[in-house]
Amino acid sequence: MPVPQQLGRGDRMGRGPYEKSGIIEDTGLPPGKTVNERFDIFYPLEEVEQNGKTITRPQAYDLDIEVKLWYVPFGPLGPKINDPFLWDEFAKTVSISKTGK
Amino acid sequence: MKLRVTGTLALLAATALLAGTACADGKVGIGRQETIAAKSGKAKTLAELAKMYDSSSCIECHQDKYDEAQKSIHSRSIYGTGRTALTIMTTIENGLMEEPYSGVKSPKDVKVEHLMGCAKCHLPQLADAEDSVAQELVTTLYDWKAALKKKDKVAAKKAEDTLKSVNIGCLICHNRNAITHKWQDGYAKAGVVYGSKDGDHPSDKFPKMAVSPIMGEAIQCGQCHGMGPNMELDEPTQCCTSYGSYLWAYKSEIGQKNCQDCHMKESKLGHNIQSYRDPGMAKAAVDFKTEAFGYYWRDGAQIRPKAVVKVEMINRAGHSIPDG
Repeated sequence: MPVPQQLGRGDRMGRGPYEKSGIIEDTGLPPGKTVNERFDIFYPLEEVEQNGKTITRPQAYDLDIEVKLWYVPFGPLGPKINDPFLWDEFAKTVSISKTGK
Repeated sequence: MKLRVTGTLALLAATALLAGTACADGKVGIGRQETIAAKSGKAKTLAELAKMYDSSSCIECHQDKYDEAQKSIHSRSIYGTGRTALTIMTTIENGLMEEPYSGVKSPKDVKVEHLMGCAKCHLPQLADAEDSVAQELVTTLYDWKAALKKKDKVAAKKAEDTLKSVNIGCLICHNRNAITHKWQDGYAKAGVVYGSKDGDHPSDKFPKMAVSPIMGEAIQCGQCHGMGPNMELDEPTQCCTSYGSYLWAYKSEIGQKNCQDCHMKESKLGHNIQSYRDPGMAKAAVDFKTEAFGYYWRDGAQIRPKAVVKVEMINRAGHSIPDG
């Protein structure tokens, strides 16, 4: 969203139309431009004893990934607080091999 | 001697021209006295203001357009989803009452000019009302909030309905705000509905129709949908900035569509002007592509499996998303 500048001066963000004047930055999606986001999510690991050795292995080989594009007008998430809007979402289970070198 | 006489006449002519453009209220512009506001006189109550721009006579022939418009948040521009009403109250308490030179110590001090920071867009016709209307509006807002707190649904609904009685109805876009360049195109006249045609209009209250030079242009919407700080106010406010984004980020670099193309025509929503709340609009506005895969990441002896999620988003709207 356009992050409004407080009273058109300095480094503070304004809240409310009465003190918003100007923009510090815009964190939203600009028209016609491709915006990329990348997330690297490490699988949780665990240490286990195997053949007398302590090894580290994934706690699970399948990871349920959910990506949700929210429009959150203001404040903490909650239907009665700010009426957030789920714009789009994606879900996939990402699996990694259980054997290999 | 001859030159001196000519000079004097020219000065007199200029004086006459200036006198001719001034109205009784001291404002310049020819035809200002033909507007609805000038003919009606300033509204003294909310009911009078509602009546001044009453669009109910439009229903007789334009029921479909009226029904569409009723679904749009323009039809409850002061109330909004409730958030707008609350934000106006916040503006009174955290804005006006804290500003040392506003002249507002309590909500009872609020006048029309104080509210125009919000009303410029949420109720532009408030400019055509006396301060008593500003007070009635403020009182109704506080009555509504108090009723909600007491869980008095009847009183809350009554106040809510009063707040909704003044809004961006047909006559705001099709008359009051149908002309932006008033010295070039003239002031919007009482009795005339502005749209895409000239001619007679079968209505007692509005017997004429005329072409609005901007009805199909983005500037019609841009009057309210914002460029940034409203510098014309003594205390600038800022709310919507989508028209600024449209001009400088979309129109200058991306495309040539206007607001009406997407929000009214291609969406097939007509006067039910919507944005992301309409599933079709939301889907059309943002391309959202995602892929995810996993692999064993290795750094020296350390092996850590990870999932990679790549998201690509393209905003297909004619302005930044979100706005506000």
